[in-house]
Amino acid sequence: MTPLTFGPAGRRLFGIFHAPATGLAPASAVLLCPPMGQELFRAQRFLRVLSDRLARAGVAVLRFDYHGTGDSPGDDEDGDMAGWQGDVAAAHAELRRRAGAVPVAWCGARLGATLAAAAAHAAAQGPQHLLMWDPVLDGAAYLRALREAHASVLIKSFCLPVPGLRRRLAAEPDAYTEGPLGYGLSARLRQELRELVPQRVALSPAHGTTVLAMPQDATAQAWAEAQRALARPVQRVPFAHTWGWTEDQQRPGQATMVPAEPLQQLLQRLRAPAEATA
Amino acid sequence: MTETPVRFGPEDARLMGVLTVPDALPAAPLACLLINQGAGHRTGPARINVKLARRLARQGIASLRLDLAGLGDSDAPRGNGGHVEQGVADLLAAMQLVETMTGIRRFLHIGLCMGGVYGAALAQQDPRVAGLLLFDSFAFPRRRAALALALRRIVALPFNASLREKIANALRGRIHGRGAQLADAPTPEDHAQRFRAAMSALAARGTPVLMLSSGSLHVADRGHDQLGEMAGEPFAQHIEYRFEPAIEHTLVTLASQRVFLDLACDWARRVQQRTAVAPAGAAAGRAARPAPALAGC
Repeated sequence: MTPLTFGPAGRRLFGIFHAPATGLAPASAVLLCPPMGQELFRAQRFLRVLSDRLARAGVAVLRFDYHGTGDSPGDDEDGDMAGWQGDVAAAHAELRRRAGAVPVAWCGARLGATLAAAAAHAAAQGPQHLLMWDPVLDGAAYLRALREAHASVLIKSFCLPVPGLRRRLAAEPDAYTEGPLGYGLSARLRQELRELVPQRVALSPAHGTTVLAMPQDATAQAWAEAQRALARPVQRVPFAHTWGWTEDQQRPGQATMVPAEPLQQLLQRLRAPAEATA
Repeated sequence: MTETPVRFGPEDARLMGVLTVPDALPAAPLACLLINQGAGHRTGPARINVKLARRLARQGIASLRLDLAGLGDSDAPRGNGGHVEQGVADLLAAMQLVETMTGIRRFLHIGLCMGGVYGAALAQQDPRVAGLLLFDSFAFPRRRAALALALRRIVALPFNASLREKIANALRGRIHGRGAQLADAPTPEDHAQRFRAAMSALAARGTPVLMLSSGSLHVADRGHDQLGEMAGEPFAQHIEYRFEPAIEHTLVTLASQRVFLDLACDWARRVQQRTAVAPAGAAAGRAARPAPALAGC
């Protein structure tokens, strides 16, 4: 496991490269495109363990933090969709530089999946396969969920009566969107998220795609079908899990840093991206 | 400033961190150790450790934010010791790394929640720690503060489903036993004893301590309530005590973060000024007469 910084001088990124633990040249490589904000904070240990397991299976892995997130330079409010898509491309280039000419799969979680789908159109010698885990396809709904989670944390933490907060959530569409769960969002990013609708998330025909989404995620289902109708090679896999992306989604008694079901599911699908594509 | 990712510690159980060094270090430089809040990542809730590291760097203070063994990007510990002993060992390795890379030999520790417990244990045994900030790390609320919390909960209960769920879970835990927890989780008495021993040692050494409590965890405070019966002990006079009712325990609001960052950076600046004029013996941790608490007590 090698921590590193990479990318252009004006936009360095923090990343961690996991060389295959076998000591052999990698047979394939995986780029992990993480989620944002508290979703990233909660997923960090999971991503570390996933990377370790993949490396043990002979897969080279790069995970990284987008500009203004995690350990990367930049403030919370510096993030925007186009810049982050560029970060995915920069990370892909860094992975290829380190892993060599092997099949590469991208695995994106939540907003990371959405960014990866967009970035794949422009990435030089892009991925052979894209695995999207619980992708964010409806930005307004995502923003709504974040601010509701934010209010929920306040309610729990301060033991507050709910009605006032709920009234504010209902009356003010922008309430709690400036820094949901403590992570600042610029006005520009909030607008970009509001404009993010499934119709604007298009897959490249150059790679295969697997969409792992909760069975009740009708948006993901409809979107995958629409992409298939456009002759994109998409496989949708209903995937129920108990992992809570945010604190308020975590069910009592199931608070674990590294949930077993997603780990097994992702390992199984990322060990051999070339097979997944086929 | 420069930010450098680092791997360090034992060869068979490496630790991971990011070292932040200001462009220019003062004559008596300090480095701040920032660690995980609970089991979270080194960046801290709401990325607070990153924000803090960068602000401290602008004040001329270096920092290392690190994952303790078994957390974040650090390897699992190899030893069989208790979690506090392991945490202290990790922090000692962090200090060694900072000294090797920067030459800095005096340290601050800013500990969020459980992070402060490790920091207190470290500071008790290592005189290189020149200041300790404890945020919601220890609390021994007196009856008045406990009643205020109970009252708040009772008032909120009919309107707050999550609170009802929280109470139901706590009751279930008492009936059926708790789920996963630290094997060596201390009893309340052990916790208090640990605090008393650490604070007594720091008072004797004249090491500044800021005890900061959030309003979300403690609700009310009329003055040193969270020190409980220990408020009357000699070491308590040495502790700078702050209760901030608007701050939330995980710093989930941007306003909470601003207050926390201002308080922490102001405290660090005052410790920095103090250590800049302290005699070398004090820096080396020689036992000294208890110093007066810092301004703001």
